[in-house]
Amino acid sequence: MEIIVLMKQVPATESFIEIAQDGRSIKTEDLNWVINPYDELALEEAIRIKETHGGSVTAVTIGQAMAQDAIRTAMAMGVDKGLLIDDPKALGADSLGTAKILAATLGTMEYDLILAGQRAVDDDSYVVGPAVAQYLDIPCITLVTKQTLSDGKIQCERTIDGGTEFVEAALPALLTTQRGLNEPRYTSLPGIMKAKKKKIDTQSLADLGIPSPAGAVSETIAMELPVTKRAGKILEGDTPEAKADLLVKALQDANFI
Amino acid sequence: MSPERDQIDFDVLFVGGGPANLAGAIHLMQLAAEKNLELEVALIEKGKKIGAHALSGAVFNPRALEELMPDYLDKGFPSEKKVRGDRLYYLTKNGYHALPWSPPAMHNEGFHTVSLARLTRWLADIAESLGVSIFPGFAGKEVLFAKDGKTVVGVRTGDKGLDREGKPKKKFEPGIDLMANVTIFGEGPRGSLVGEIDRKLGIFPKDMPQVFETAIKEVIQLPEDNFFSTSEFNDIHTMGYPLGINTPGGGFIYEMDQNRVALGFITGLSYEDPMLDTYDEFMKFKTHPLVAGIIKEGKVVEQGARTIASGGYYSLPELAVDGALFAGGCASIQDLPSLKGIHVSMKSGMLAAEAAIKATGEKDFTRESLDHYTELFKKSWVNGELYKGRNFAQALARKGLSKLIHLGAQTVTQGRGIFDPMAHHGEDHTAMNVLNGTHRAKAVDRITYDGELYVDKLTGVYLSKTLHREDQPCHLVIHDPAVCVTECYEKYGNPCVRFCPGNVYEMEMEAETGKPRLKLNPSNCLHCKTCEIKDPFQNILWTCPEGGDGPNYAVL
Ligand SMILES: Cc1cc2nc3c(=O)[nH]c(=O)nc-3n(C[C@H](O)[C@H](O)[C@H](O)COP(=O)(O)OP(=O)(O)OC[C@H]3O[C@@H](n4cnc5c(N)ncnc54)[C@H](O)[C@@H]3O)c2cc1C
Ligand SMILES: Cc1cc2nc3c(=O)[nH]c(=O)nc-3n(C[C@H](O)[C@H](O)[C@H](O)COP(=O)(O)OP(=O)(O)OC[C@H]3O[C@@H](n4cnc5c(N)ncnc54)[C@H](O)[C@@H]3O)c2cc1C
Repeated sequence: MEIIVLMKQVPATESFIEIAQDGRSIKTEDLNWVINPYDELALEEAIRIKETHGGSVTAVTIGQAMAQDAIRTAMAMGVDKGLLIDDPKALGADSLGTAKILAATLGTMEYDLILAGQRAVDDDSYVVGPAVAQYLDIPCITLVTKQTLSDGKIQCERTIDGGTEFVEAALPALLTTQRGLNEPRYTSLPGIMKAKKKKIDTQSLADLGIPSPAGAVSETIAMELPVTKRAGKILEGDTPEAKADLLVKALQDANFI
Repeated sequence: MSPERDQIDFDVLFVGGGPANLAGAIHLMQLAAEKNLELEVALIEKGKKIGAHALSGAVFNPRALEELMPDYLDKGFPSEKKVRGDRLYYLTKNGYHALPWSPPAMHNEGFHTVSLARLTRWLADIAESLGVSIFPGFAGKEVLFAKDGKTVVGVRTGDKGLDREGKPKKKFEPGIDLMANVTIFGEGPRGSLVGEIDRKLGIFPKDMPQVFETAIKEVIQLPEDNFFSTSEFNDIHTMGYPLGINTPGGGFIYEMDQNRVALGFITGLSYEDPMLDTYDEFMKFKTHPLVAGIIKEGKVVEQGARTIASGGYYSLPELAVDGALFAGGCASIQDLPSLKGIHVSMKSGMLAAEAAIKATGEKDFTRESLDHYTELFKKSWVNGELYKGRNFAQALARKGLSKLIHLGAQTVTQGRGIFDPMAHHGEDHTAMNVLNGTHRAKAVDRITYDGELYVDKLTGVYLSKTLHREDQPCHLVIHDPAVCVTECYEKYGNPCVRFCPGNVYEMEMEAETGKPRLKLNPSNCLHCKTCEIKDPFQNILWTCPEGGDGPNYAVL
């Protein structure tokens, strides 16, 4: 079983985000960078599949040199190989451009299964996974909470409003992850030591023989921070019931209920 | 039953990723390369990243770094600003006097201001490029001793994935045993493993206590046009208000790059008033007209807290035991008159590295062999600096005029002063008075927390970006919880709720019984360790929570 995980490095969720001078990107200095939490679910699931069915897991990421840290972390979890696509032209791509580059890259690789996060918590566009499946012309199952593999097929459970949907597809297929799929493991110290010794393949688009994406079809023109929260109000009450009453009253006063 | 544990062998293991150990690790690799030694060297740090738990002022004295890397300025040394000049102010409640004279040790012109979080990251990159294996996110939880019960043979890292009761959860990852010929501890002030070693082997002097100060610090973003745009000085210290003349402590304001300022307030833990609230003292300082004027229109970027080991020369522990060495703040190494610890910590780490190399060459890791570090230390300029300040903290802790007389005498006698050695006030936890009904004035009488420039304690915790997995065993061990609601409540009114800058300790009144009850919020913890030091009943033991948890400082 050859498994590929599409992975993105994003600012840690506890970071305080500030908008850069250009008004359409964020300041990146002093941020802590981590693996997108939904991609961590994908990595964990891929490693578990490998552990039961054999095979190997490759993490593929488009990023800058510092994205090597994310690949190393993935390797410390148990990923076998890493590919970093480091090219200014790739970094400038929009979501569909990113998907095109990834699909072109994956087109030259072997795979039975591709796992992606449902969305990256920085840009939140929910596009890349399904678009890669589309470009590769393979089945795509999104927001998966459970999967089982047998006879060249994958059965997945997806949470839908008020219930669970069971979906089956033939391999190769692409899945995107949903919370609840698994609990990603801690990276162990021996795992990190082993990962430090592994090689990370770094390639430019030219190296991969991929044409640079034609101009982006969408463009970020501006970013804005949410309006800062107004001062909160703490409701004082002696008992939970009293507090709940006060809350109901406050919500009614504000015409919320 | 203890779970199967992996064991990994190293030549040298550094515990803690502060300036002491990072400089030590770099120097160790330099020496190993000179001698053609192939060494396996590891460094563990409990923060999620190197620098995540680093908090300092800081004005940086480059003496040790110049020795370590003479070309440091060409290697991307993360300077914030060069010090143009300094000022020492005496504050009264609403006014201030610039002192015409400040002690020579406090003259910083030409030094750089730094963020310790950035400095340690920079040092860690260099150490890693020299071959040190750096493992952030791993806490040393237990010291491993040989069968003889006195030789340190390594450190066990903390388990990950335990639930509140200490039972393994599904993704449990047991800690592992990191074994080393030499373990170098650089845990910073009040090291938890150094404490364990002291309880076992008694490394700290019996007649001189370990004493500390607690600091709360912020980095504030100022508008482009700010106080420092025109001021000739950018290194400011204050004394006097709010602590007054009796309690040691004071404020600092240092200019940083990009229109930022580092601002902090230090409270000596020899304070006596059980009603004193470290956060309130910080706020009183911050809202003082002089300070408020400098930081006006600013916005807090980050906040945090940390203790400083202020015992000095006579409080130094034994620097070596069988199999282990102690460097930096955890060994009370701090140059007190100049308010600096980074350079002496770095130098001590470098000297420890020299001793580790010699011991490795001779394959002798006994205390006799490792005591080479103590010899080097005694001969080094660090010892000289510490010796000059040997009675400084003791004098500072004196009250009123006596303080000034002792300090003055020390200044003109190269530190000897009137008594040498001068006794400390005793352990900090013994210094607290019982409640007597006087209530310390709160800062809040002149501020409203606007959530931007003035933030309350909990917003401060948020701004430290501290995170702990909630479902883990409480890392604060309260030996006897009954004391909290009886003796401590009656005598001291539970000072933990006030000395802890992170709101970890709360007292609640039980609705049914009307009795007080202690509520712990360990996930707020800033890892400053004030609680373990100041608790009058010595009822609190601070242990490392799960590795990777705690503050996530970027610029402190
Ligand atoms: C507010 C403030 C202002 C200061 N101003 C100045 C100044 O202007 N100039 C100056 O030179 N000095 C200043 N100092 C002092 C200086 O910061 C310290 O002396 C110095 O940081 C000590 O270095 P260290 O490496 O010994 O310890 P630390 O810097 O405390 O580093 C210890 C590291 O070890 C880690 N650690 C601890 N225990 C464990 C464990 N069991 N397992 C894994 N990791 C562990 C910690 O997370 C931490 O990262 C200031 C200090 C404070 C608090
Ligand atoms: C970083 C962090 C630190 C925290 N530290 C503390 C702490 O030290 N002490 C402490 O008591 N709590 C703390 N909390 C809050 C606490 O964890 C939960 O808010 C609380 O336990 C609510 O649990 P629940 O089961 O009642 O509600 P849940 O079922 O978990 O919440 C359901 C929803 O109810 C609403 N809600 C819940 N609680 C409140 C509330 N208090 N006010 C308004 N709306 C609410 C929210 O919309 C929430 O999404 C902290 C939370 C965070 C994120």
